[in-house]
Amino acid sequence: MILLQSPSRFILQILQNRVRNLDKGIDLDCHSVEFDDVRYHIQVSMKSPQSIVLSMALPAPPPEAIFYAGLPFGAIEAIKAAFGAIVQILDPPKDGYNLTMKINLGKLPSDEEQKQALLIKIASVREVVLGAPLRVVLKHLSSKTVASDADGPIALVHRPKESFFLVPQAEKVTVVFPMRFQDSVDIVLATSFLREFVEARRAPGLNNAPPCVWSPSPPPELKGVPPHALTANAGFVKFVIFPRHVEGRKLDRTVWSLSTFHAYVSYHVKCSEAFMHTRMRRRVESLIQALDRAKPESEKSKLLQGKSFKRLSVKDKLSNSNS
Amino acid sequence: MDAASRPAVVIDNGTGYTKMGFAGNVEPCFIIPTVVAVNESFLNQSRSTSKGNWIAQHSAGVMADLDFFIGEEALSRSRSSSTYNLSYPIHHGQVENWDAMERFWQQCIFNYMRCDPEDHYFLLTESPLTAPENREYTGEIMFETFNVPGLYIAVQPVLALAAGYTTSKCEMTGVVVDVGDGGTHVVPVVDGYVIGSGIKSVPIGGKDVTHFIQQLLKERGEHIPPEDSFEVARKAKEMYCYTCSDIVKEYNKHDKEPAKYIKQWTGIKPKTGAPYSCDIGYERFLGPEVFFHPEIYSSEYTTPLPVVIDKCIQSSPIDTRRALYKNIVLSGGSTMFKDFHRRLQRDIKKIVDARILASDARLGGEAKSQPVEVNVVSHPIQRFAVWFGGSVLASTSEFYAACHTKAEYEEHGASICRTNPVFKGMY
Repeated sequence: MILLQSPSRFILQILQNRVRNLDKGIDLDCHSVEFDDVRYHIQVSMKSPQSIVLSMALPAPPPEAIFYAGLPFGAIEAIKAAFGAIVQILDPPKDGYNLTMKINLGKLPSDEEQKQALLIKIASVREVVLGAPLRVVLKHLSSKTVASDADGPIALVHRPKESFFLVPQAEKVTVVFPMRFQDSVDIVLATSFLREFVEARRAPGLNNAPPCVWSPSPPPELKGVPPHALTANAGFVKFVIFPRHVEGRKLDRTVWSLSTFHAYVSYHVKCSEAFMHTRMRRRVESLIQALDRAKPESEKSKLLQGKSFKRLSVKDKLSNSNS
Repeated sequence: MDAASRPAVVIDNGTGYTKMGFAGNVEPCFIIPTVVAVNESFLNQSRSTSKGNWIAQHSAGVMADLDFFIGEEALSRSRSSSTYNLSYPIHHGQVENWDAMERFWQQCIFNYMRCDPEDHYFLLTESPLTAPENREYTGEIMFETFNVPGLYIAVQPVLALAAGYTTSKCEMTGVVVDVGDGGTHVVPVVDGYVIGSGIKSVPIGGKDVTHFIQQLLKERGEHIPPEDSFEVARKAKEMYCYTCSDIVKEYNKHDKEPAKYIKQWTGIKPKTGAPYSCDIGYERFLGPEVFFHPEIYSSEYTTPLPVVIDKCIQSSPIDTRRALYKNIVLSGGSTMFKDFHRRLQRDIKKIVDARILASDARLGGEAKSQPVEVNVVSHPIQRFAVWFGGSVLASTSEFYAACHTKAEYEEHGASICRTNPVFKGMY
């Protein structure tokens, strides 16, 4: 209900629309911005109605996170593996974007179900690109090998100028999120939400979920990380991922949930605020009602008379004409 | 990167449909019905159960808070199960149910646009008849719940005028004829200011056209399953209806060449799955005729739309009338009928010419009045003209300076929404 879906509705809608009217050429040029500053730009030209040019800009990486040629580690391979021949990466990307790819709709599989699945996959391009390095690490975990060159925490970008950290080990991967919020109310709500989140993990039904710890100060795993990356006003959340969390089809969901954890918390905080307002409004209404009931009779009738020009009902008219 | 460098979010909440998207785009990203399906079965459980049940009640309340859908999803959910109640938060252009509206916005922002409201300036729209209190409420929700960095609340007809801004010339004077699903408003705007006293409303909208077509089909005895008839009438309206210049001539045309004019509609009965078909004939031109001869549809309201527009202009200040006649702008989905603007222009012209003739006769040739130019403007984006106007406005660099900001809200409170920040420092 309150989870963010991986495929972008906006891209999916455009793709499905295009597939339905493949022979009709249109000119289309639109852009969209998602949470955490991921921007999309979609172009379709009259001349080649079969192809769509999709450009994507990623959040600006902080100094500790490393990008290769403007993309996270392993992204190009991930795109090729996920989409195959239908997508062609254009190099260099469009000005101001990190990735530009050309989608050839003529090459879609003819089977309706496969086609839908592939379109949804293309709409989840964010998961593929931004989640690529995370996926590499978690794949190593499921095969129980350690990536050789990894020493110390790996920083991965998830918000503009902010990163979260991975500490890969043979048996487990520790993921640490420094949580930052702008608004003072949000900080308080987020902190208490995260505490409850950790508490909820202890419920009997969730024994297999990844262990989760919240602490106001950086956990010991983050030794050697530059101090500017460790300022968090809503504390640190640590998850420990075991091989059982990434086996088979669970991998995709784990990657998506982890790479959008901050957005999830912020969504939750906003929802809580909305619901608190609903409650407050209801309370104010009931108090006003109570006040109205407490008013002496005389005042009430005066109020009614004040509005008499509107409240004149049939009965009044009748009595007036009779008198 | 601060919020002003990202495109603003433009949301136009209409009675029937909500249009939302990013500023700078030509089309809104999503057009969805303004409806929320809420699950109220949790709330109605008796409160008298023992106190130990508090936890259960609390979590039931939380579940009820989370269990809702908006847009097309809401419609399909309420059709398939009876646990969801549909709630339409906007009636006749005014927000009535703020709880539902807040939920609706929440889903729009997070689930449809998928953006972080803290990152974007927002442009919302309101009808010209909205009370300042409602605007304060909107501001409160936007700033308190969603923490938006800046908010601008624009008046719908002004935006509809701004939509024509790019296609023709820089004209911010005109009459906006907004025919929505719920009703019709005729709003005079002079130099970007709405003349409040001149606003006229017609209680006939797109929904009434659909009802009328449905009624006609039923009376002629077309075999349409009753549960489908409204949908069929709506589709027939959207696909086949057009405006004619003369009813009698149009009847003759249909009678002479039925093959050319009568369209076939085929569908499948939802219950039995059997196919059926029906003819759509006179409805094609009689539907839109409701605006020009309301007496064929309702006995209570009988003033034709061209007369209302003429009255509206006549009640505006005298020095603006010529400019208003020159720029009559259409907006809203129900103005999309073919040749609607031609018919409107012809009818208004007739009224104006008759008046000039009468005044000339009265003066007896002493003074000759100049002819009045009547012009009804139509453009292809009419359906979401208001949204497009918002998109144009919000993509200018001046927009960000004209917004109410979060800092101002925190300093002065919700009352800042009562004034338009464009006039900041003028009084």
